Amino acid sequence: MKKYIAVLLALVMVLGLAACGGSKPAEETKPAETKPAEAAAPAAQTETAQTAQTETPAEPAALTADDIDDNMTSADGTYVIAFVTDVGQLKDKSFNQGTWEGVKLYAYENGLSYKYYQPANGDQATDDDRYDAMKAAAEGGAQVIVCAGFMQGTALAKAAAEFTDVKFVFIDGWSLGMDNVVGIDFQEEQCGYLAGYAAVMEGYTELGFCGGGGGTNAAVNRYGYGYVQGAEAAAAEKGVDVHMNYTFLYGASFQASPELQTLTNGWYETGTEVIFSCGGSIFDSITAAASANDAAVIGVDVDQSFSSDTVITSALKGIGEAAYQALTAAFDGSWETFANGGHVTLGAKQGAVGLPTATWSLENWSVEEYEAMFAKIVSGEITIDNDPANLASTAHVTLNVVE
Amino acid sequence: MAFLIRQTLVYAVPLMIVGLAGIFAERSGIINLALEGIMIFGAFVGVLFVRIGQQAGWFAAAYAAGNWISMQGFVLLTMAVAALMGAVFSLLLAFAAINLKADQTIGGTALNMLAPALVLFLIRIIANQNTLQMATGDSASWFMVKKTMLGYDKKAQLGFFASAFLDKVYFATYFCLLVFVILSVILYKTRFGMRMRSCGENPQAADSLGINVVKMRYAGVLISGALSGMGGFVYALTTANCSANGDVAGFGFLALAVMIFGNWKPLNVAGGALLFGLFKCIAASFSTLDINGDGVYALAQLGISAHFYRLLPYLITLLVLAFTSKSSRAPKAEGIPYDKSTR
Repeated sequence: MKKYIAVLLALVMVLGLAACGGSKPAEETKPAETKPAEAAAPAAQTETAQTAQTETPAEPAALTADDIDDNMTSADGTYVIAFVTDVGQLKDKSFNQGTWEGVKLYAYENGLSYKYYQPANGDQATDDDRYDAMKAAAEGGAQVIVCAGFMQGTALAKAAAEFTDVKFVFIDGWSLGMDNVVGIDFQEEQCGYLAGYAAVMEGYTELGFCGGGGGTNAAVNRYGYGYVQGAEAAAAEKGVDVHMNYTFLYGASFQASPELQTLTNGWYETGTEVIFSCGGSIFDSITAAASANDAAVIGVDVDQSFSSDTVITSALKGIGEAAYQALTAAFDGSWETFANGGHVTLGAKQGAVGLPTATWSLENWSVEEYEAMFAKIVSGEITIDNDPANLASTAHVTLNVVE
Repeated sequence: MAFLIRQTLVYAVPLMIVGLAGIFAERSGIINLALEGIMIFGAFVGVLFVRIGQQAGWFAAAYAAGNWISMQGFVLLTMAVAALMGAVFSLLLAFAAINLKADQTIGGTALNMLAPALVLFLIRIIANQNTLQMATGDSASWFMVKKTMLGYDKKAQLGFFASAFLDKVYFATYFCLLVFVILSVILYKTRFGMRMRSCGENPQAADSLGINVVKMRYAGVLISGALSGMGGFVYALTTANCSANGDVAGFGFLALAVMIFGNWKPLNVAGGALLFGLFKCIAASFSTLDINGDGVYALAQLGISAHFYRLLPYLITLLVLAFTSKSSRAPKAEGIPYDKSTR
């Protein structure tokens, strides 16, 4: 009998490994659906009227990106505009999806072919996987490749040096010193600040922050640090003490997980009133916990109030718009002006970050007060530190960092 | 404490029911290594069914009216569908192992490899990504039983028992416990159960007394498949916000381990599942775990790394296995294809 048990246990371990490997097949460039774009177009237009009320106010055009098919087939099999995703799902209701919507919208409005590429191996993707995705895009006829996420930097430098005719848009990126690459980053600390300020002004004193990327994602870290500063400012103004749970646990791969759901369940159970969900699909775990406890969530990157009733507001950054503007510049000849030497930073001044006032459900903080606050950030009257290394408890905010 | 009990049940129940699935197969003489694969498949079928139901608006009126009792009907229906499809999926193993007399561990392994690949393939076709989610809303707002639904205020204090067992729980959890008890009784206290167990110990003797070994083994595997399919969906519902992504975090293999250290006995399996569930829950929520209700998060104050807590459930499983495997006693004839001519 012992032998059987030994064999069984060995099998369990071997199979565990096999199953882990098996459950993540290469997410290579997917074959597009056979539906021609022309056929999808009229359908999309008729739907627009019905879904107009669900439109994000930040969207630049009347058409909602949701109505545009994610897959299209071009007549000659080449795709002029390509999008390479960050880790996580394409439809993460957040970073990838927001960028992709800007890409789709531009391509659709200008009758250009478009396609998305997910680097192989999901959240374990290496620089080679990302480079392969970019290479596939370039060889598939792409003239502009939009790459989302700071992790693409190394692969992008390699691909951009090889395909000098192709323009690269590097969202959440920096200058790579190449003419055909523009790195666009955002002042996330500003909308994080506004979100933290709004939460405390709304009357919440028990806050939470769950970040993706395991603490290595600069954008997420800026969001979180801004959030703490905003909470501090509002707490000082109201003279209250705020307690905040702050963690990057279980969010490293930007995926939903049972562990994160239990963790946030525990937070809500012990008094946390609102959690800032900052990282792609971890949103699903946090809203599930919030819904179970009738509590609140703050969304990130895009207006997430349409995804869950628990969302009171979202810290927006104009990723879709940035992609849209970069694509416009790439095709109308104003690339060099836009690229600004390879690096663009967008913030409150450019209207690229903020909170969606049309859909928020805050009751104790008015839109007028928000706009006054926003103007102060634009004018520089309120300065927000953007170095997350300074994160610490402040006079009114007690930080409980869970590691 | 109430929170700890509730969350422990959430993790333990899928493990328990799938552990029982393993018992049924092995007690009838078939090693079912495919528990993991069937769970994955069951989770997928269940989520897909919920999604289709939502899109077709089957329970939309009940949801809008806040009729939470009808919503439990939706859950039960979905569990039934997941169980049915789990049983159908397990037929592959039954056919290979019983009719073709194939090596059972290899058959199970094949299903474990097939399930995630097949499920991901289908999810990509249906949802255009790697995760299949509900069409609208989340599992808590659709399927959870909460005190606010029963007319209590959000801040109302319900007392220990009610807040541990009646608030923020899924009916599916208790239904699984009920099924667990009923099937355990069937396995030990009925003629059918005794005959099935005899086929796992000495099929030749059972056959000589007029018991149809092939039928009994089919029954064992089918019940096993149905329970795993159901367990897979319950796992997706209660811990993964009713989403399927071709992965159940190794719960099927854990169920096998729990079954072995439970010595192929339902009560011990239940104990093992609860033990594992408890540590899994502690691992995830130690940062705000208030065990004795004094407002102090003792485990967080110990200052031990989170990684240690995350290691605990697996460490405990290994330790318990190491100490109990000496006395463990598997069904004698498991893994051996039944051959009438050998006596």
